[in-house]
Amino acid sequence: MGETYAEERSGEAVSDEGLLTDERVKLVGLAVSLAFTAVIVGFIALVLLEYVNYDLLISVAPRFVVAFARVLAVVLVSSVFAVTLGVLVGLGRVSRTGVTHSIATAYVQFFRGTPLLFQLFIIYLGIPSLWPPGGFPISRGWELAPPVLVVDWTFITAVVALTLNHAAYVGEAVKGGINAVPSGQMEAARSLGMSYVDSMREIILPQAWRNALAAIGNDQVILVKDTSLLTVIAFPEIITVFREINSNQFDAWTPIVLVAVTYLAITLPLMRLVQYLENRAEWGTGG
Amino acid sequence: MTANDQEDRQVSADGFDLPEVEFEKVNKYFGENHVLRDVDLAVQDREVVVIVGPSGSGKSTLLRCVNRLEEIQSGEVRIGGEAISAPDVDVNRLRQRVGMVFQHFNLFPHKTALENVTLAPVQVRGLSKSEARERGLDLLEEVGLGEQADSFPAELSGGQKQRVAIARALAMEPDVMLFDEVTSALDPELVGEVLAVMRGLAEEGMTMLVVTHEMGFAREVGDRIVLMSEGEIVETGPPVDFFDNPKTDRARQFLERVH
Ligand SMILES: Nc1ncnc2c1ncn2[C@@H]1O[C@H](COP(=O)(O)OP(=O)(O)O)[C@@H](O)[C@H]1O
Ligand SMILES: [Mg+2]
Repeated sequence: MGETYAEERSGEAVSDEGLLTDERVKLVGLAVSLAFTAVIVGFIALVLLEYVNYDLLISVAPRFVVAFARVLAVVLVSSVFAVTLGVLVGLGRVSRTGVTHSIATAYVQFFRGTPLLFQLFIIYLGIPSLWPPGGFPISRGWELAPPVLVVDWTFITAVVALTLNHAAYVGEAVKGGINAVPSGQMEAARSLGMSYVDSMREIILPQAWRNALAAIGNDQVILVKDTSLLTVIAFPEIITVFREINSNQFDAWTPIVLVAVTYLAITLPLMRLVQYLENRAEWGTGG
Repeated sequence: MTANDQEDRQVSADGFDLPEVEFEKVNKYFGENHVLRDVDLAVQDREVVVIVGPSGSGKSTLLRCVNRLEEIQSGEVRIGGEAISAPDVDVNRLRQRVGMVFQHFNLFPHKTALENVTLAPVQVRGLSKSEARERGLDLLEEVGLGEQADSFPAELSGGQKQRVAIARALAMEPDVMLFDEVTSALDPELVGEVLAVMRGLAEEGMTMLVVTHEMGFAREVGDRIVLMSEGEIVETGPPVDFFDNPKTDRARQFLERVH
């Protein structure tokens, strides 16, 4: 019986299995990843030893520190607003009130359906041009903590555009998170006499939040990287500093290394924070 | 105490004029599907009514109409004489008088057993946290889970979860308790502990509407059995009559299949 079975599976099936044993797959995987790592590490070492100008690196590093702080300020403010607004958008998307649902849906469609760059221009150029030339009240801004925190029209544009854009994505994540909560949860809460709002706040949203956390965190990482677009509205962020140094010093690799380090200095801790929050939300399953 | 309750129940089942729960000519549709057909049913104070019937016959829907998890299309449902579908009725206040226990527990996974039990009393009835906590611990003790107060649902067995769910419903001090196949999702060896809690409640005089496939429980604890079929109540009577002397063909067919 067993033999017949093996015979039936002769030819490609058997030779297939011959190639793809667990042991061989493991070895090939290990070899490929080691080779990959060797190439990357070799390349980075080459860059660091041969192409990076360390005098220049040290002299321009403070400009990246300032850019880091500016980007961090924009990210923190935009992220808090985007997640807050995103929860409301998500609630609108699951609302059974027709008008609320339609408005939330249209909002998401517009902000996901057009480029962030374009949305930046709508606010940066469009809004001031609603006033007669020279009449736009916010031009000089407020120097809260110069040079890092200057709340001028550029800063406001950055925060508003990133908030509106990412609230749409967070809203979709929250909607998915709410829909993934079993309907019995709302029924149990309502059957205890809790109102819709109380049930949402106490029962549905905490679970939806956990369901959506990975997607929301992922979006906040994208938000960090989206600040690179702010270079087109002359917000002195990380890429702006890179372009200045690159064109003045005719050096690519020194500022490239600094750009990588600066972005990762924001995104890596952010990813860790998300992981921490995810672990913390594993109720009663060892977390 | 128990003997007294038994007597009380007999009296109220016969003589009380205001039923705790009352269905009058209730019709319920899901689209074209006519799920409850002219249902009439009165549950007296302290009475335990067990609803049996084949799957899809409308048992769950009947229970869910009592606290308006489902809306009815015609007829009237009353709780303590009050029509629940009246336009000015406060559905949240109404639901406080009706405890419900579900087949799949529906415990709140992000809250401990005790938090599950104390949440609604604090949120809805405005009890102080310490008061709710004290009463919650008492209730958990009563269902045999004093030790598990700080456990999350994921750390409890099915039987323990269902007992927490019962305590959670009782914490609102309801007039009526609804049980919808609360042992159907349990491993057989865990069914007994949940039925024991329900039996205790019945002995204390709780008014109960119980949907179950546990015929032993229905016979022993039920004051009255209601058989549903295709959205209609086809037979109703005391357990002895229903099980040993069914009047209708459908009751006889049903009993043949479950035995
Ligand atoms: N939410 C719903 N939407 C549409 N049809 C439903 C819904 N819930 C129940 N039904 C239908 O109503 C009928 C009665 O269901 P149910 O009350 O759950 O029966 P039982 O509890 O006796 O098994 C079935 O035909 C079922 O398909
Ligand atoms: Mg059912």
